[in-house]
Amino acid sequence: MPKTILTVDDSASVRQMVRFTLSDAGYTVIEAVDGKDALTKLTGPVNLVITDLNMPNLDGIGLIRSVRSNPAYKGIPIIMLTTESQASRKAEGKAAGATGWIVKPFATQQLLAVVKKVIG
Amino acid sequence: MIDKYKQAFQEEARELLNELESALLELDQKRDDREIVGRAFRALHTIKGSGAMFGFEDIAAFVHNLETAFDQLRNGRLTATAELINLTLAAGDQIKTMLDAAAGRGEVDHLRSAAILSELSQLTGAAGTPGESKGPPPTASDAGVPGAARDWRIQFRPAPNMLLNGTNPLLLLRELRELGTLRITLDTAAIPPLSQIDAERCYLAWDMVLTTAAPAETIRDVFIFVEDDAELSIAPVLDQAAETSAAIVTPATQNVPDRRGAGASATAASIRVSTERLDQLVNLVGELVTVQARLSEVAARHDDVDIREISESVDGLTAALRDNSMSIRMLPLKTTFERSRRLVHDLGIELRKDVELTIEGADTELDKTVIDQLNDPLVHLIRNSMDHGIETPEARRAAGKVPTGTIHLSARHSGANVLIRIADDGRGLDVERVRARAIEQGMIDSSARLSESEIFSLILAPGFSTAREVTEVSGRGVGMDVVRRSVEGLRGSIDIASKPGTGMTVTLRLPLTLAIIDGLLVRVGQAHFVLPLANSLECVELTRQDISASNGQHMATVRGELIPYIRLSEYFQMERAQPEAEQIMVVETEHGHYGFVVDQVLGDHQTVIKNLGRLYRNVQVVSGATILGDGTVALILDPNRVVQNIVQSTSQNKRSLGRRTRRSVETQYSE
Repeated sequence: MPKTILTVDDSASVRQMVRFTLSDAGYTVIEAVDGKDALTKLTGPVNLVITDLNMPNLDGIGLIRSVRSNPAYKGIPIIMLTTESQASRKAEGKAAGATGWIVKPFATQQLLAVVKKVIG
Repeated sequence: MIDKYKQAFQEEARELLNELESALLELDQKRDDREIVGRAFRALHTIKGSGAMFGFEDIAAFVHNLETAFDQLRNGRLTATAELINLTLAAGDQIKTMLDAAAGRGEVDHLRSAAILSELSQLTGAAGTPGESKGPPPTASDAGVPGAARDWRIQFRPAPNMLLNGTNPLLLLRELRELGTLRITLDTAAIPPLSQIDAERCYLAWDMVLTTAAPAETIRDVFIFVEDDAELSIAPVLDQAAETSAAIVTPATQNVPDRRGAGASATAASIRVSTERLDQLVNLVGELVTVQARLSEVAARHDDVDIREISESVDGLTAALRDNSMSIRMLPLKTTFERSRRLVHDLGIELRKDVELTIEGADTELDKTVIDQLNDPLVHLIRNSMDHGIETPEARRAAGKVPTGTIHLSARHSGANVLIRIADDGRGLDVERVRARAIEQGMIDSSARLSESEIFSLILAPGFSTAREVTEVSGRGVGMDVVRRSVEGLRGSIDIASKPGTGMTVTLRLPLTLAIIDGLLVRVGQAHFVLPLANSLECVELTRQDISASNGQHMATVRGELIPYIRLSEYFQMERAQPEAEQIMVVETEHGHYGFVVDQVLGDHQTVIKNLGRLYRNVQVVSGATILGDGTVALILDPNRVVQNIVQSTSQNKRSLGRRTRRSVETQYSE
């Protein structure tokens, strides 16, 4: 059964890139436009969450905290997308329970390498 | 592929610029509304981030300083002024022309871009930090510089909450394994007692040696997400000596003596030790096994990791010691076999028969005690073959055989047994004559239907062997009952095969050792018994329904087969409360499959057999005893004897009714 990945980003182009890259690699991809939207889409089996940090409504940090406090999903890997300028945000994300991170901008191979690293 | 994303970014960026513009215009009305500042910041942030990703580095670099300014605005370190808002609006327009230029429409005025940025740095009072259009940072996927493979010692103790953060340590190990050959030692020392274990925390640590050509950074990259919280050390192993000391071996394997080393030294190849001392050693090991069993039991009761660990180490050592001391007692059959050469030679002269002895598998090893007791039956069997099996040279010639007869002595392993075979090419046994003789002697009923090997086994009966010398076969039983008794004393069995005119083969099946038995521990009331595992087929529940369905007959249906059973509590006349459920152990005996009903089957039990002593030597159904972990004694049952004993008594009853069955025949000759 293909693994399901939830990509959370308010940028449609980033979502699209993540979706195309991961779909091509055989993963099933669900999209969410922000943290709040992501929480409503966490219903079925999800193997990985890839989330941006800066988003309206519920940002990435808030999303990570919510997922980690949800008994059904608390152990799933969460990858956050950060930028070089967000060192403190990265630390915040890790403290909230992020599994790993990808620094923007990133190439498709980097995305695939990280996904493989955390869900095999 | 990338064009598809570029198109998507173009559309998205224009939307974001519109969002930025409306936010800026609103901000102009409400200068200190953080919410609006946040909207503008996110728009700029996304334009920058996505722009860099899809090849719009110029836009990303241009937006960088604007983003920084709005971040400061957001944090209250800068106040929104009309100048800043206007400048940002102008910057937005500039971004639009950059997007157009990228799409092939018009040119970008780079001077204007520079002017906007310099004005911005004046407004924010900061020398604009250079944009970060650097190449992507190195990640785990970067291949290492190929070079000579070397060893790295990697010690990794993750933070206890690693699992909660979604990290699967197995994937990390798998990733390491992709880099080269990985030897892993698991460190379980930090695991708390069961009652204190939090299943969601990770108490494990790994100590690994990785042989790879990849550089240290590549190895470190594997742990990139966890290294901050974990204890991680990655160090090159300097040389082989350092490596062996580095690789932590578990104490159990460290302490087990290497048996291969025993024969390697040329100077002390062997020493003579009296067998008494060996027996003493085995006895002591037996005691140790018993004490170890008690230790395990006590350790299991106490929730103490330290004690359990010691107990497990002692367990491993005891098992190794037991195997070792047993192997010391093992001797090759060579001496015993070679002794028969002399016997064949001497008997050949005496009987004026020309016989050649061939030997095979003389290096097969057996417990010394078994070998000691094997000599007599072997001599009997060879004597029989020489005396009655092999014909005189003249008779052989007349029968069209070569004048020289052959006796073939062979031995080979078969599981926990050794098969010893004595085959001659003499006149063999005639099934019909044996059968006729048995009927004549009243040993079997003329209507009894027996298989060939069952008929041949009749010659092992004492009554048969002492017959007058009327037939060719008559004398062949001489001493055969003695053979049977010794072999059974060794917990072995005999099988006879023969074809008239071409010879006879006697196969002895003997256990490798007498001192140890693999058994199943069972409980009946308060008493424990051990049944030999070799004979046990399966164990199933004996339900009330089974009992009532058989109308009081001791019969149970197991997998469609009707199996007679013996209730041990009744057999030993034990007074006890009838248990709710019973279990039935199906055992293979000489008399077919029999069930032994017990209260509970407790499990595997490998044990050192203790003799019961002279007082009990006539108790045949018990082959020995063993001491359990809690110090109580368990009797080791001989299922064959138990069944024989019961069949005997029932068949006696039946015989008195004038009904003779096949079983009664078998029991009769065993009497």
